[in-house]
Amino acid sequence: MSAPNRVGAGLDARIRVSRGEIEIDVALTAEPGQVIGVLGPNGGGKTTTVLALAGVLPLAEGHVRVGGQVWDDGRQHLAPEQRAVGLMLADSLLFPHLRALDNVAFGPRSRGVGRHDARDRARTELDRVGLSDRATARPRELSSGQQARVALARALATDPALLLLDEPLAALDPDTRARTRSDLAARLTAYDGVTVLVTHDPLDALTLADHLVFVEDGRVTQLGTPAEVLREPRSAYVGTVVGLNLYAAQGDSHGHVHTADGGLIVTTSPTEGAVWATVPPSAVSLHRHHPEGSPRNAWRLRIASVTMQGQSARIGLVGEVPLTAEVTLESVTALGLQVGQDVWAAVKATEVRTYPR
Amino acid sequence: MRYAVRWRSRVALGVPAALALLLLVVPLVALLLRADWARIPADLATPTVLPALRLSLTTTSVTAVLCLLLGTPLAWFLARSEHRATSWVRALLTVPLVLPPVVGGVALLMTWGRNGLIGQYLTPFGIQVPFTTVAVVLAETFVAMPYYVLAVEGAMRGLDPRLESVARTLGASDLRYLRTVGIPLVLPGIASGLALAWARALGEFGATITFAGNFPGRTQTLPLLVYVELERDPQVAISISIMLLAVSVLVLGVLRGRWLR
Repeated sequence: MSAPNRVGAGLDARIRVSRGEIEIDVALTAEPGQVIGVLGPNGGGKTTTVLALAGVLPLAEGHVRVGGQVWDDGRQHLAPEQRAVGLMLADSLLFPHLRALDNVAFGPRSRGVGRHDARDRARTELDRVGLSDRATARPRELSSGQQARVALARALATDPALLLLDEPLAALDPDTRARTRSDLAARLTAYDGVTVLVTHDPLDALTLADHLVFVEDGRVTQLGTPAEVLREPRSAYVGTVVGLNLYAAQGDSHGHVHTADGGLIVTTSPTEGAVWATVPPSAVSLHRHHPEGSPRNAWRLRIASVTMQGQSARIGLVGEVPLTAEVTLESVTALGLQVGQDVWAAVKATEVRTYPR
Repeated sequence: MRYAVRWRSRVALGVPAALALLLLVVPLVALLLRADWARIPADLATPTVLPALRLSLTTTSVTAVLCLLLGTPLAWFLARSEHRATSWVRALLTVPLVLPPVVGGVALLMTWGRNGLIGQYLTPFGIQVPFTTVAVVLAETFVAMPYYVLAVEGAMRGLDPRLESVARTLGASDLRYLRTVGIPLVLPGIASGLALAWARALGEFGATITFAGNFPGRTQTLPLLVYVELERDPQVAISISIMLLAVSVLVLGVLRGRWLR
C-alpha cells in the first residue's frame, strides 16, 4: 500500500485488545474520503476493532488518531460521546419510540444543537438518503431497507470524522440489499470523512471500498486495493473470498510448482522459492477420460460437491490438487457429473499464476 | 381400557385441582355475598374510615414516589452491572419479599427506634420516627420497593445494550441516554412496577402495626382499620374489604397487558 500523504487528517489507528481467546492487533490507516473495507471470518476481531474505534471498548495498547486528534493512546481513552464518530450496525437499532426525523436529530441534539436546527439538519440528512417523505414514520412503520437508510442518516447527522459501518447490509433480504447497497454507495461518495466498513460479503467490499483489510485471528493477513487483492490473494480465506483456487507452494525456474500437499502444478509464469499459485475456477475443464491435446496440467480427482450458481455450476474436487471448477450446466449433464465420481480436471499452464509468498 | 385409565387420572388430578380453586375462590365469593351493597357508600364515609382512607392514599403515594425516585436508579445499576457483587445485592433485595412483615417491623424499630442504629442520632434533635406517619411510609417502602426494583430491572435488562452504544456515539451522556431513550423504553416496566409496589404498600399490615402502631389519623391505615372494625362493626370491615378488593382488581387490570397475558 502506498504511503498516504494526508494520513494526519484521516485515520491512523493501531488496535490492540485481548478479547476472550484471541489477541487482536490491527493497524488501519486511511485518508479522508476513503472507504476501508474490513473483511474476515466471524470471530476474527472485526467487530472488536469497530467497537474499539468507537470508544465502546478501551484499547489495551496502541492508538487511535482521527483528523489529527488523539482519541485513544492506550492510556487516555476519549468516551464515545467525545469522539466525532458515527456507528451503524447490522440491525438498524433505531430508537423505537422516536420518529425517523427525531432519530436522525438525536445526534445533533445530544451534541448541543438547538431543537429547530437539529430537525433542519435531520431533514437534510433524510433527504440525502431519499426518505424526506418518511420523516414522521416510527421505525416499526418503515421497511428494513428504509430503517437501514435512517440509521445511516442518523450516523452522518453529527458530521463524524470517522464513520463505522458494521455489516450494514447483513440483515436485509437480497433484493433490498442490492438497492440499499447502491444508496449507500451514493451517500458515501458525498461523505468526506473516513469510512470503515466491516463486512463478510465480498460484493459489499468490492463495490464500496477503496482499500481492503483482511483480519483473521486478530491479525491483518492482507491489505491492498480491491484490484490487488483480486489478483493476488495471500491467505486461504482471501482466496475463497475472491473465488480463486489458491495454493501455498514452492516454485522453481522451470515452471514446476510443488504444493504443500504434494501436488504438482505446471505454469508458464514461474516464480522461484516460496510462492502462491492461483487457478481460476473458470479455467478448469472436466473430462471423462484423460484429456487429449496440450493441457500441461491434468489430474484425476474425485467430485466432493456440486453447487449451482445461476447458469453455471461449481464443482468441488479433492485429490492431488484440490480444486473448485466452474463449468456450465450443460457440461454437468453431458458429463453426468455426480458426487463421488472420479473425473479428469485439466488446466492450461498459461492460466496458472504464481507470485512470491 | 384406555378410557378407564384416562378417567382415573382425571379424577386423581381433577379433584385436588378443584379443591385448590375452591380454596382460593370461595373466600372471595363469601366476602362478596356478605357485603351489604347499599350500605357501602355510607360505611366508607364514616368518621373512622375517611382518615384511614386519606392516610392510606397519602402514604402509598409517597411510597410510590420514593420507589420511582430511588428505586429506578438502583434498578439501573443492577441492570447494567456485571460485577459478582450484583447478584448478592439482588439476593439481599429479595429478602424483604419473603420476610414475614412483622419481622420487617421489628428490624425497622431496631433501625429507627430511640436506641436504634440510626434513631440514636436523631433522638438528641427531638426527632422520633416510630409511631409516626413517616414510620408508615418507611414500613410500606421497606416491603414495596423490592417489587418495584425487580420489575424495572427486568425491563431494563430487556433493552438491547447496543442501543446505548449507538446513543453514546451520537454524543449522548449516560444521563441523556437514560432520559431520552432508556426510561421511555422501560416505561411499561416502570408502570407495572409502580402498580405492584403500590398495591403491596396499600395492603401492608404487619410491619406497619409493629413499627408505626395503630393510631387513628396518624398511623391507622385501611388494613389496620379493617382489623379494628372487625371487632366493633363487622359490616364496616366488610365494606372496606370490598373496596380494597376492587382496588386490587383494578391493579390487576393495569398489570394484565404486561405480565398476565
